[in-house]
Parts: sequence; structure tokens; C-alpha cells
Amino acid sequence: MIEMIAALIGGVLYGLLIGIIPAAGATTGLVALFGVISYFAHEPYLGVVFLMAVVAASTTGDSFTAILLGIPGANSAAATMVDGFPLAQQGRASYAISAAVTTSTVNGLLWGCLVFLLLPWYTSLLMVLGIPELWAFTVLALATVGFVSTRFWFRSLCAIALGIFLGMVGVDPNTNEPRYTLGWFYLEDSIQIMPVVAGLFAIPELVNGLLTKSRTATIVKSEVLEGMRVVWQNRWLGLRGGFIGAFIGLLPGLGGAMADWMAYGSAVAANPKERFGNGNIKGVIGPEGANNAQKATSMIPTVLFGIPGASFAAVLMSLFMYLNFELGTPDIALDTEFFTSMTFGFLGATILVAFLCIFLIKPISYITSVPYKYYFPVLLTLIVWTAMQYTGGWEDLAMLAIFSALGFFCKYYKFSRPALLIGFILSDKIEKLSIQMLALYDVDSLITRPIFLILVLCILGIFTYSFIKKGKIDYA
Amino acid sequence: MLKILTTLAVLLGFSTTAVADYTFIVPQKPGGGTSVWAQIVATEMEKYLDEKIVIKHIRGARDIPGFNKFHNELQNDPKTIMVSHGGNGVSFLNEKVDYNYADYESVGLMNLNIIVASRKDHNPYGANKTAFAAGSGMIPEGIAMTLLKCGSGLTTEQYIDCFKRKVNWVKGMSGGERRLAFKRGELNGTRENPAAFKKHVQPTIDKGVAGLWFHHGILQADGTHADDPNYPGYQMEKLFYAANRTAPEGDLYAAYKLVKSFRDGMQKALWVGKNNPNKAKLIAALKQVATNPESAGAVEKKVGKYQWLIGEAGDAHRDTLMKLITPEALSTLVRFNNEAFGIKAVYKDTLLAQK
Repeated sequence: MIEMIAALIGGVLYGLLIGIIPAAGATTGLVALFGVISYFAHEPYLGVVFLMAVVAASTTGDSFTAILLGIPGANSAAATMVDGFPLAQQGRASYAISAAVTTSTVNGLLWGCLVFLLLPWYTSLLMVLGIPELWAFTVLALATVGFVSTRFWFRSLCAIALGIFLGMVGVDPNTNEPRYTLGWFYLEDSIQIMPVVAGLFAIPELVNGLLTKSRTATIVKSEVLEGMRVVWQNRWLGLRGGFIGAFIGLLPGLGGAMADWMAYGSAVAANPKERFGNGNIKGVIGPEGANNAQKATSMIPTVLFGIPGASFAAVLMSLFMYLNFELGTPDIALDTEFFTSMTFGFLGATILVAFLCIFLIKPISYITSVPYKYYFPVLLTLIVWTAMQYTGGWEDLAMLAIFSALGFFCKYYKFSRPALLIGFILSDKIEKLSIQMLALYDVDSLITRPIFLILVLCILGIFTYSFIKKGKIDYA
Repeated sequence: MLKILTTLAVLLGFSTTAVADYTFIVPQKPGGGTSVWAQIVATEMEKYLDEKIVIKHIRGARDIPGFNKFHNELQNDPKTIMVSHGGNGVSFLNEKVDYNYADYESVGLMNLNIIVASRKDHNPYGANKTAFAAGSGMIPEGIAMTLLKCGSGLTTEQYIDCFKRKVNWVKGMSGGERRLAFKRGELNGTRENPAAFKKHVQPTIDKGVAGLWFHHGILQADGTHADDPNYPGYQMEKLFYAANRTAPEGDLYAAYKLVKSFRDGMQKALWVGKNNPNKAKLIAALKQVATNPESAGAVEKKVGKYQWLIGEAGDAHRDTLMKLITPEALSTLVRFNNEAFGIKAVYKDTLLAQK
């Protein structure tokens, strides 16, 4: 038991560190473990505890830099940043972080427990939701872009169009020929997410802070308890975000960022009279739980079928293979120690991280009163390291530079960066699912699918609603 | 345990610059099938080498940049070993790549087979189109099902037309999406390597909703393919003969033999540059991996029980594959890719010159 706790603590500390590194996230943190995972070869169940703790801790930790510095710790934390960072600028960093950590913890624990109750029904669910339903869910996520657009509606449209275009760079799935690569072979593998997130969000905020010789804010007062209280007051909002994240996690391959933006969009839609993007705590509570819930439920397709529920799950699955756990086989379903270790690692880390974060909120929040010049070199180094995890070559740096320039442009001319990111993340998925759907279904067969039809109606409704209510948030 | 955590903490700081005796270059992202295979093989080889092997992933479009980097910069490094997979073989035949198998020496390779299943509610020889996931890695399956569904005696043009009428070549699917779509019945067919077949397809067969369709066979030293003892009677050539009372032949069959050999015949392979001073040591370690039951079992768990061809046997196997490159086979493969599959392919006459 002592060894399991030690593995848990090790995973939590490493996961928190990875979560805090700008733009890195659980996937990057797990990739960095390939060189050392064999050290658990003789104690594989400890490895499971350690890895699950890394996932849980990094998922909560990524909120810190998003809220404190306006730099998402992972692409999936970008939604939390939209309202969390303005709160920090107003001197209410501890309030925002406390609310974020509380929401993350509640949803992490809730869905971490429910995952095991859901297992018997999962196969049936998976058989009902086919390619048309996955397509509709993804388009539904794209529809949320209306809720993150700024009052500059046309510029937001341009941003999403650019995001969709950038997401299509690579190889045309229809013709298998390079598309929009300008003859640069590097781009045939498409544009990687890390330089996009780091360039759009991290670098502009860092450089802006440095040039203005400013600090984010001065802490007005510590509001840890107030942060917890406001989560209770908005409990249904937080739970709805968790539900959205959990559902997206169950559907293989859709990814965490999509869940966060859907949850953020639902928070905005549910509060039509309120402004977002300027420090509305509901904009933190809404999306923050989605990420943790998604991480928990995406383990179901990963473990039961050996089909990763998200990109982090694909890497996790390989790490488990190195520990001799073959996911998706009958053997693993009968390995109770494996499930116990997974549960202990995920739930234990969620609780431990909550205590650590609540304890650390006050001291960490004071980073907002430290001038940028002191941590600029450290963060810049970490951002460059993250962006270079793809090939490690100059091309990665070039992409970071290009997206940093784009990030500056969007920030100062109010082209919605969240809209651009959503378009970028979803365009590839929507295109490929559209190709699959059109190849396998015709109109006659689609209209016999009730879930698909309901989702299409939701999409139409959300598009119409967001068009009428355009210009919701202040963050660009 | 404390030792583990301490080591871990130290290694985390140096994980990207860890000092190693050997480096395996894997041309894909961490987590891919070949990446996992390489890690297992490296772990087992370390036991006999008594030296450390690290995995370096060099990612990029269609897994080409990693192999190109080995070819252009690293092949003369005595400590660098290239890990290639079947997809590299397909690209070698019909894409612009720098690497060339003829330029290296084999440490060892695994000669695998790929198995294809179809849903029972779909008659693959019937009037309805067979929905199958597309992709450059599926080329051998696409040609095999064209031959099986369309029969004998057609010209390449007729086969292309027949493929378009009888196969729904569904593009844009990842491996995971393909597996789910088959389970749900959206795809009528799917394919896997033997280990993945047991994991992802066998449960569907056990439920009675799918069955074995065909496999490609196992490449022999003389360039022919033998039936797989794990799935006897389902080799494509045998099924073709049973249906048509004649053996498959012609340009499309030559193209099929060529591409399936380069994909499956070197499905997993380790290469070093010529005259590598460590080659003998590496070969000796790999022989131990192949013969030690525990080590061999660890590898088999990932890919199934298939033969290792080590050292000179690997070189001879590569030479056999090179002999399959004929003008007719190569040009038909390129044409079928371009016109039937919609996969951009180029005809490289340089391949013929180096047979």
C-alpha cells in the first residue's frame, strides 16, 4: 500500500508539473514517459497507478496557467481561460482557481466512479451511435463557436473560417494528395496542435506582459472559500459540463477540447442575459468539469475495446502495453487488480490534487503580482520545449513563430482566437466523418435514425440562436 | 519502490537526452503499433546485449521522414538501428522517398500475414458493394478483393471498373474507427495482423456475426506465398482457384504479389547501414530473442507467432522481394493506385534498375 501511495504521489507531482507547463497537457506528459516506463516493468500495477495519477493531475493542473497567465496548460484548458484570465486580471485569481479546482474534482470523482457502473451498458451505447451520430455530435460542437464569438461578428466568422482552413492543411482524405502545404513536406502530416495553442495563446500573452512591463494583477484578497461556494451555487452548471464531457469521452476519438467548448457554449447559452469573456465565473465552472469527466469516461472504450477515446488515451494504451497490459482483450476485463489500480490512481490523484491545489492556491496566485520579466524566460523555454515535441527540428519552431504572429494579430485586431481554435480542432474530424457518412449512408437511411435527426435539429437550433444572439463574449 | 521513484525523477529530467548505447529510430509517433513492437524488441534485446537501447520517434507524413532521416544522415552511425514497418514498404514502391532497402543490411525482420474478415450479413461475392476502409495500407486487401470478386481473365482496365462497381472504398478512417465501424456493421469487411485480429475481430466472429474471408499467405524464400497454418484454406490464391478453377495470373496479380510482399514480408524489420561494426553483436542478441521462449513470447503477444529472419536470412528475404519488382507489376500497381483507389502514386523506373 505504501508503494501505491508513493506511485500516486509521484504521478500527481509529475502530472501537476506537466499541467502547469503551457500548452503541454496530458498527452505530452505521457509521451515523455516512454523512456522511463520500463522501470515499472517488474511492478506493472504501480505503473498503472502512476500513469492514471499523471492523467488526473495534469487535467486539473492545466487550469493554473490558463487562469493566472492567460496561457492554457493544455488545449483543453483554453475554454477555462476565456473567463478565468480576466478574473485573475481583476485580482480574483484565487476565486477562479478555487472554483475551477472544485468543479474539476467533483466531476472527476463523480465520473471516475460512474465509469465502472457504466461498463455493462457501454457496448450497447456504442452500437447505437454510428458514424452519422458522431458526425452530428462534432458539428454540434462546431455550432458552439457562435457562443465564443466576439461582438465583432464578421471577424469571428473570419477566425473560424481560417481555423477550418488551417485544419485542412495536410493530405486530402479524398484524393490522398497534399493540400495547402505550399510544397512543404512537413505540413503533409497536418499542422500539429501544440504550436497552434502555444502560438495563439501563450506567446502573445507572455510578450504582451513583458512589453508592458506589467504584472497580471495584484491579489485583492484570498477567495478560496468563495470559489468553492460559487460552485455549489452553480452546481447544475458544473454537473452539466461534466455530463457533456463524460458523453464526449465515451465516443472514441472526439477529444477533450471539443467537450470543453461545448460545455462553455452551453454555459453561455443558459445565461443569455449575462456577459462572458470578461470574468464571469460561470465561464469557468461550465467548461472546467468537462475535461476531467472526459478523461474518466474515455477510459471505457480504451480499456474495453482497445480503441482510444482521445489522443492521450492512445498514448496511455501504448504505455500500458509496455507494462504488458493488452487493452481490449478478455484478459484485461478479468484483471481486477488492473481495474483497482486504475481506480485508485485516478480517484486518489483527483482527491490528492484537490487538497494540494487548494493548499497551493494562495501562494501560487501571487504569481500574478510578479512582473512578467521574472518568469518570461522560464515559460518561454517550456513553451518552446512543448512545441518541439513533434519533430524536434527547426520546422516546429517555424510553426510556433507563425502561430505566435497570428496570435498577436488576432489578439490586437479582435479576431476570436477561441473560434479559430475550435475551427482548427474540428474541421479535420468533420471532413472525415462527412466523407464516411456520405460513403455509407444515403438520405433514406439517415432519416430512419432518430438520434441523428434530433442532433441535426439541435444543430440548426444552436446555429440560429447563436446567429440571433451574436456577439456574446469580450475575449478575443 | 523508492529506487524506482528516484530513478524516475532523475530520468524525467534527462528523458530527451538519455545516454544510450543504441538508438532505435521509429518512423512514427509514440503509441503506434510498430513503436510498441520496437519497445518490446528493444527491451528483450537489452537483456542479451547488456547495453541500453532507447527509442527515438521521428514522425511525419505517412511515416516517411523518419526513414529518410536514417537514409540521409544516420545510416553510417554504428549505434543507430532503423525500425521499419509494412507501410514503409508500400511507400517505397510508389512514392517519392529517399530510403532504399538495397542500401542497408538486415539485423532481422518478421515475415507476417494479414487476415481479412467479412460480416455474415453481407455476401462479399454478391451484388451489393463491399464497404471497406480505404488507405494506402489497405492496397493489398483492395486488390485481393478485386481479384476475388471480379474473377479471372480481365484486363487491368476491366478490373479497375469492376473495383469501382463492387467495392465501396470508404476514405478518411483511422484504425480505431475502422474497428468500431466493422463491429457496428457499417463496414462489411476489415483486416488486421494476426494478434490484432484475435483481439479486435475474433470476438465478432465468436458472436456469429462475422467470418474469416481471406488472408494473403506467408512469403517463401522463392517468392511464392504459402498458406498460413493458423488459418488454413483461406489464402487468397486458394479461394481464387476454388471459385475460378484457375490460378490467379496477369498484371494485376503480379502487382498484388509485389505490394503484399513489401508490406507483409517486411512487416517489422531492423536495419543498419552497410559494414556496421556492431551488426554481429546485434544479430546475436536478436537470435537470442527469437529462440528464448520468454523473449519470443513477449514479441508474439504483440504480433502473433511468426518467423524471424535474422541477419543473412533477412538480406536474402529482401533480395527476394526486390526480384518481384517487374515493369508490369510496378506499372499496374501505380495505375491501380491512381485510377481505382485514388491514391497518388508514381512510377519509379529506378527501382527496376537495382533489382
